[in-house]
Amino acid sequence: MNERALIHDAQQGNLDAFNVLVLHYQDSVFNTALRILGDEDLAADVTQEAFLSAFKSISSFRGGSFKAWLMRTVTNACYDELRRQKRRPTTPLEPETDDGEEMDSPRWLADTALTPDQQAEADELEHAIQHCLDNLPLDFKTVVVMADIQGMDYTEVASAMRVPIGTVKSRLARARLRLRECLRGFEELLPASYRLEEGVNT
Amino acid sequence: MKQRDIELLSAYLDGELEPSDSARLEARLKSDPELASVMNDLRATRALLRKLPQRRAPRNFTLTRKMVGQNPPLPRLYPVFRLATALAMLLFFFSFGLNALAPQLTSSQAPAFGMGGGGEPDTFAAQEAPAEAFPTEAPAEEPSIALAAPSPTAIPTDEAAREVEPPLAKGEAESAVAADQTTSLSETPIIPTSWQIGLILLALCGMIAMIWMRRSAARRWQ
Repeated sequence: MNERALIHDAQQGNLDAFNVLVLHYQDSVFNTALRILGDEDLAADVTQEAFLSAFKSISSFRGGSFKAWLMRTVTNACYDELRRQKRRPTTPLEPETDDGEEMDSPRWLADTALTPDQQAEADELEHAIQHCLDNLPLDFKTVVVMADIQGMDYTEVASAMRVPIGTVKSRLARARLRLRECLRGFEELLPASYRLEEGVNT
Repeated sequence: MKQRDIELLSAYLDGELEPSDSARLEARLKSDPELASVMNDLRATRALLRKLPQRRAPRNFTLTRKMVGQNPPLPRLYPVFRLATALAMLLFFFSFGLNALAPQLTSSQAPAFGMGGGGEPDTFAAQEAPAEAFPTEAPAEEPSIALAAPSPTAIPTDEAAREVEPPLAKGEAESAVAADQTTSLSETPIIPTSWQIGLILLALCGMIAMIWMRRSAARRWQ
């Protein structure tokens, strides 16, 4: 796939060329939306919106990493969706205490929602990670999704988020630290080789 | 542990540290078990995230031309048809308007006809009458002359009346003719009906041709 030629053709309004790019990147874009939103149906809708928006604004692409540019489009679409949800909330994403305040710790899931049988299932780990991701601030979550789940380098992440590389480094480090704390609550789900060390004060 | 150390460890894991910083950190890791432990945790967390399975997209997200609002390319003749149809429609409505205004236009022209054609004798009569009427009034002011010659005063008045009357009759006749002409003009449309029919037929044909062009272009596009 000659990405540059396809982008050039798409910039001339060639929809077929753009659709080749869509087929190439749709899994990455969908997974990014899925990890940021935590809902498959919403992620599918946002992915479609993101590609539509990308086609309409592809003339603004001035070179560099196309994947980073696409990721910026999809994260913007995710942010829009989250803002929409905030304006019209349906069900709370996080449990509330008796006082009506959101619980700080994500361990509620490990204590209540996951039974030992369910924990044995392969997808439980994925659910646990997703819940830990959902407890991250949005900027942290976006950085971690791009860098660790999509495997983008710091330059691409910085380009996609329009922030300096130093900010990416800082957010990624803090996000990993928070995830590490969160995943301790799901220790029994983790494969032996991924068990986190305990008793370390940070 | 300092935030700065966490950032160093995280960047080290991603190979984003300068060689000199990497070497310094490696030396510290050997001597600092706490730092090494955090390093292992971060590495395990990063590995877990990277191991997260990539879901396949539930469907293809390719865009359709309808979604992006792209219209099929129309034939080169399409703008010609569009222009012709628009002009035909415009002329059609203009002709209707013109024919509707025709009686008003002709009626506003009719008085001008009367002024120009039949008006002149009136003017002459008006100019001549006072000149002729002076002798009739003059004897009233000078009774002696009036008594002495009563008949000459009466004759000029009658003559004047006779002279005035025929032009007035002529003017009336002419204005009546003009009115007749006006009526016949107002009844005749400025733009003939056959032209109007031709224009509307042209517009309809143009519209049908445009619809056909659009549909066939859309069929080819799909």
